[in-house]
Amino acid sequence: MNYIIIEGLAFALPLFIIAIGGIFSERSGVTNLALEGFQGFGAFAGAAAVMAISGGNLAGIETPMFITAMVFALLGGMVFSMLHALLCIPFKANQVISGVVINILATALTAFLTSQFNTVLFGKPTNKFVLGICEKFTVPFISEVPVLGAFFTDVYYYQPIIIAAALVASYVLYKSRFGLRLRACGDNPHAVDAAGISVSKLRFIAVMISGALSGLGGMCFAYSISASFSPTIYSGYGFLAIAALIFGNWKIGPTLLACLLFGFARSGGYKLAQVLGLTSAFADIIMILPYVLTLLLLMFFSSTNRAPRALGEIYDKGKR
Amino acid sequence: MNDYIVEMRHITKRFPGIVANDDVSISIKKGEIYAILGENGAGKSTLMSMLFGMYEPDEGEIFIRGKRESISSPAYAAKLNIGMVHQHFKLVQNYTITENIILGMEPKSRFLGFLPSVDVKGTNKKIAELSKRYGLEVDPKKKIEEIGVSTQQRVEILKMLYREAEILIFDEPTAVLTPQEIEFLLEIIRELRNSGKTIILITHKLEEIKKVADRCAILCRGKLVDVLDVKTTSTKTMANLMVGREINFRTEKTEANFGEKVLSVSGLDVRNDDGVSVVKDVSFDIKAGEIFAVAGVSGNGQEELADAIAGLIKSSGSISLKGADISEMTVRERSEMGISYIPQDRQEVGLVLDFSLGENLALKDYYKEPFCKNGILHHKAFLIHGQKLIDEYDIRSGQGAKTQVRSMSGGNQQKAIVAREIISDSALMIFVQPTRGLDIGAIENIHRQILSERDKGKAILLISLELEEIISLADTIGVMYSGEMQTIAAAGSLTSNQVGEFMMGVRSV
Repeated sequence: MNYIIIEGLAFALPLFIIAIGGIFSERSGVTNLALEGFQGFGAFAGAAAVMAISGGNLAGIETPMFITAMVFALLGGMVFSMLHALLCIPFKANQVISGVVINILATALTAFLTSQFNTVLFGKPTNKFVLGICEKFTVPFISEVPVLGAFFTDVYYYQPIIIAAALVASYVLYKSRFGLRLRACGDNPHAVDAAGISVSKLRFIAVMISGALSGLGGMCFAYSISASFSPTIYSGYGFLAIAALIFGNWKIGPTLLACLLFGFARSGGYKLAQVLGLTSAFADIIMILPYVLTLLLLMFFSSTNRAPRALGEIYDKGKR
Repeated sequence: MNDYIVEMRHITKRFPGIVANDDVSISIKKGEIYAILGENGAGKSTLMSMLFGMYEPDEGEIFIRGKRESISSPAYAAKLNIGMVHQHFKLVQNYTITENIILGMEPKSRFLGFLPSVDVKGTNKKIAELSKRYGLEVDPKKKIEEIGVSTQQRVEILKMLYREAEILIFDEPTAVLTPQEIEFLLEIIRELRNSGKTIILITHKLEEIKKVADRCAILCRGKLVDVLDVKTTSTKTMANLMVGREINFRTEKTEANFGEKVLSVSGLDVRNDDGVSVVKDVSFDIKAGEIFAVAGVSGNGQEELADAIAGLIKSSGSISLKGADISEMTVRERSEMGISYIPQDRQEVGLVLDFSLGENLALKDYYKEPFCKNGILHHKAFLIHGQKLIDEYDIRSGQGAKTQVRSMSGGNQQKAIVAREIISDSALMIFVQPTRGLDIGAIENIHRQILSERDKGKAILLISLELEEIISLADTIGVMYSGEMQTIAAAGSLTSNQVGEFMMGVRSV
């Protein structure tokens, strides 16, 4: 049980922060299928920065390097997301196509850059930056409480960071002036324009936020599940985040629940494979559990969901 | 310099293929209600959009309070205290009234004592007060998607007042309102003027101008025709100036000449999506050369009746056309059997707005030759066919058959639908509110076409909310109330008062 909660949380929270990024973009009216690419590129940027600064020897400086990685992942994701914003907003490209192209570009570009980096730094053209696993902590006393204590046991350092970021994001989206305008953009951009606010600028910023938060999420995956940056980072976390935010009806609270569900389904699946003593080939089948769950949930719940009204629509002043 | 609050001098604005405004100069005094009158497509909205900063004029100057201004955006217009209620409301559907009003000028408060945030709760009270002051009562906490059109319009007006607008532009404000709501709105407009605001009213409805406006500028095809003092000018003069020629208020109608029975409906029942019965046991016949007009207050089952006959919605009972039962047929089969349909909502049902005019004019025949041979569409055929109808029916558009229909004015959109439906030469033509939102010239045109189709021996089902239209066109009148046909009588045997009583359900046979 503890295993399911600990591992489930470690997976659900990075997913959650990527999904929040998606919410910002989509609530402003920009369809964002590029989350997968953003999180991968962010993780690459963070890992590359760590490699460049530390020279590959992380012993003894894990924590400062972890923080460096997070900062650069945030910036890298943000810069990379500007490509999507640029294509979709001033150049009015189709947002779905832009998203798909950016995902393909991210995979190819980061693989290429990683091997170039490795050649220059270490003389080996591998496609991997080995980072190790982020440190964990356990809250004394509370962690002793049955079941509930598991939420405070073996907590990765990134988990409280994500929770803080999610709180800030909720405040910005629901309480601030910027958030009010952003959400209005996704429903009726004409109203926002008539109120004298630039729809393009607002959406551009929204997409950049989605890039930054996705980068952060990608970095957390690199520091936990894969313990490195490599092309395996592109295994559908971004798409799962999209499923979570749709399932969560484009609202932060319900999206958290969806992420937790996916996280526990995944860790539960692993536990199941362990208990049954399955070989690794069968364990791989278990890994598709969250995706199957997604499909089933979307089948049952998506009829009651309501996407932002202007989602995916290119804003054109003249259109009535 | 002078006491004009707004002056627009020698304004010219061109769009691809069209000169929307051609050397127009107007001057508006502070505290007056200034009407801008013109047919659809005469350039009224374009002129005012320039005042509101949506477009910039190609030539000419704008002076506000005697100072030359270049109004580059709605935000700048707002700074000059200019506000506009658009014909298509610009409201965020899932926001409350308050949130919509404050959008862009949000009052601040502190969240958790230190974080700047939008003060929605505190503003609810302020909005309630504001709405009371101008007699525009609304519940600030209601969401836009929960309120009706007339309340949404109030929200648009409140939006301007919240921004302390002094110059208020209303673009066709009554197009979407019921007669009672129109009265109420005109009262509000008068009150706003009395409290010192300057009002610009864009409209094509002469009655409204006569009721509230002080002065009136008349535009015709982009040019300023005249500026008149409303009190001393007759509506007839205004109408003639607006259309650019003499118009008859009365429709010339020849004696009806009935032929064989074309449509026969008996025991028709329709249920809506919620399972509520909206058309109840309706039976009637229409003969060739007969205009059968259905009168009724909106929402009493008339639209559903038309949709059921055209096959858009399911019904039970029997419908037969020229003796053949069509009640089980699909829409296309019915259309090929000889039904033309001019629907109420021309933009939703009648046209594909993002298609070209040529394509829209062939929507009923695109799968037949010459448009389609062996499953391949021939674009040239669409253009040739389109051009033919454009010339024949005087449909005005920027780039001929290639014009995107969305960019055309409402009157010309309707002309296009009517042209398409007439040329298919169907035995039965259904017109649902064919003149809704159109100006006098266009209404006259449509009425003439309905009558000429009748004289050609078509059976015509006309559904209208305008009693006048019914009385002046119908050969036979049916009145619907709450889904039931209250009465069916020859047009001459009912006075309009009697029809009105049937419509309200207070009179029965």
